[in-house]
Amino acid sequence: MKKTINIPLGSQHISLLEPVRFKFECENEKIVGVDSDVGFVHRGVEKACTTRFKYDAVGYVVARVCGLCAITHSLSYTVAIEQLLDVEVSKKAKYLRVLLLELDRIHSHMLCLSHTCESAGFEAMFMRIMGDRELIMEIQELLTGNRIQFDYISIGGVNRDISLETAKKIVNSLDIVKQKVLGYIDEFTNNWSLSLKFKGIGALTLDEAYRFNAIGPLARASGLHIDVRNEIEYLPYKELGFKMQTHTDGDINARNIIRLNEILNSLEMCNNILAGVPEGEIVVKSKGKPSGESLVRFEAPRGELMYFVKGNATAMLDRVRIKTPTFSSIPAFSHIFMGENYADAPAILASFDPCLSCTAK
Amino acid sequence: MFSLNKYRKKSPWILHYNAGSCNGCDIEILACLSPKYDLERFGVINTGNPKQSDIFLVTGPVTFRSRERLIELYTQMPEPKVVVAVGSCTCTGGVFRDMYNVEDGIDIYIPVDVYIPGCAASPELIIDGVVQALDILEKKTKEMEIPFKLFKEATTKKGITSRRESALKIGENDEKN
Repeated sequence: MKKTINIPLGSQHISLLEPVRFKFECENEKIVGVDSDVGFVHRGVEKACTTRFKYDAVGYVVARVCGLCAITHSLSYTVAIEQLLDVEVSKKAKYLRVLLLELDRIHSHMLCLSHTCESAGFEAMFMRIMGDRELIMEIQELLTGNRIQFDYISIGGVNRDISLETAKKIVNSLDIVKQKVLGYIDEFTNNWSLSLKFKGIGALTLDEAYRFNAIGPLARASGLHIDVRNEIEYLPYKELGFKMQTHTDGDINARNIIRLNEILNSLEMCNNILAGVPEGEIVVKSKGKPSGESLVRFEAPRGELMYFVKGNATAMLDRVRIKTPTFSSIPAFSHIFMGENYADAPAILASFDPCLSCTAK
Repeated sequence: MFSLNKYRKKSPWILHYNAGSCNGCDIEILACLSPKYDLERFGVINTGNPKQSDIFLVTGPVTFRSRERLIELYTQMPEPKVVVAVGSCTCTGGVFRDMYNVEDGIDIYIPVDVYIPGCAASPELIIDGVVQALDILEKKTKEMEIPFKLFKEATTKKGITSRRESALKIGENDEKN
């Protein structure tokens, strides 16, 4: 006789922001089998990039692959095209790009932390973090003119300049955010009821992280030293004070601590940028049409993002291939659910910070 | 005379469904429920259950796999109900218009009461749209709105594509299903 029961989670569920379906095979409370289905939001962006849009418009189309890491998508594509066109971007534009990239990472991590708390049943913490996240959203609106989907990056540089007053305002807001984040670190490490929900649950060991090809904060929480920001040369991360954050536990708590430490590191980098924005032009004009192949990697808030672009010296591209972070981590996701309680499943899922519209494209 | 409509306006519940959007509008809806904008001051609660909700917030152009779930959720909601389309791509298809896996906007399938433009729609606009939806909810009666079946040929009238006129009513036989 069959002793297990199947419980579906999704495709529409209160704890999910976007449609994904997990089919859990449960034995009493324990999960013994997982089946996932991620393709609900497939739109066909890759195909449209090569048939409907010219190469200079694609940067704004690929931003619509994902609203949370839009800036990383458009930046990766733009850098790939700049390599094909041999454009040398000014130092000021590079600094402004890093500034936006790190602000985006901060607000994405804060959203993930608040959502993890909500899924664990701690509504007050959710409200607290979401309230403080608005400070970062205001900074983004000040810099780019839009809260989300800021079409800030163009081929050859950025679209808006930063003024001294804006920089001053941003530094003030970042100071407030830093104090708040230090408060969260205290709460996440010392709160007893949160530790019941987070400590020792959903663990991934170093060996498993290596074997299942985990990337991003998921891998760094297990002790794997993997971060694209440490390896690339297109952006001046090393001179801005980037430090890799790792943890050894690999459970939900470790992932939260990694995210909090990364927020602190990003805040420090933003302050370093604002302390000395170099002089120069924000946009360099480009000539010609892209031809040849280029491959670019960037660190999105969820892990490594890879773009492959192939051009044929016309306005239309031959191929745009997008490999997104959540797609690579799905085997690790499915493995973590094994042996956990069903009641913990929403909190574990939120702690991965999955982005399904990235995955399905 | 006791009127339920007056009280219905005071605590409408929201059902949110992502029909293929980029997450931008979804996190703006989440930001609306957070302390700065606080949509909950109108009595609104975000619920996951279609059978308890009055306002249907939809984001995203309808993808092929999400359209059946969209109709299923819509039919499960009790009357009277209001549909709010959040974001440019929900209203017209936006940047995703004419992509191979995308239908252009949700009004091909379900009747829409309030359209909210913007990519991504800002929280102020979303709050404005929900408040407009509350007024519409008060005026609506319990009369059934007829939902429409899938897999039908679309009709084009004055350049506007719609599946609603050629579609079968619920209960009629359909050979393809």
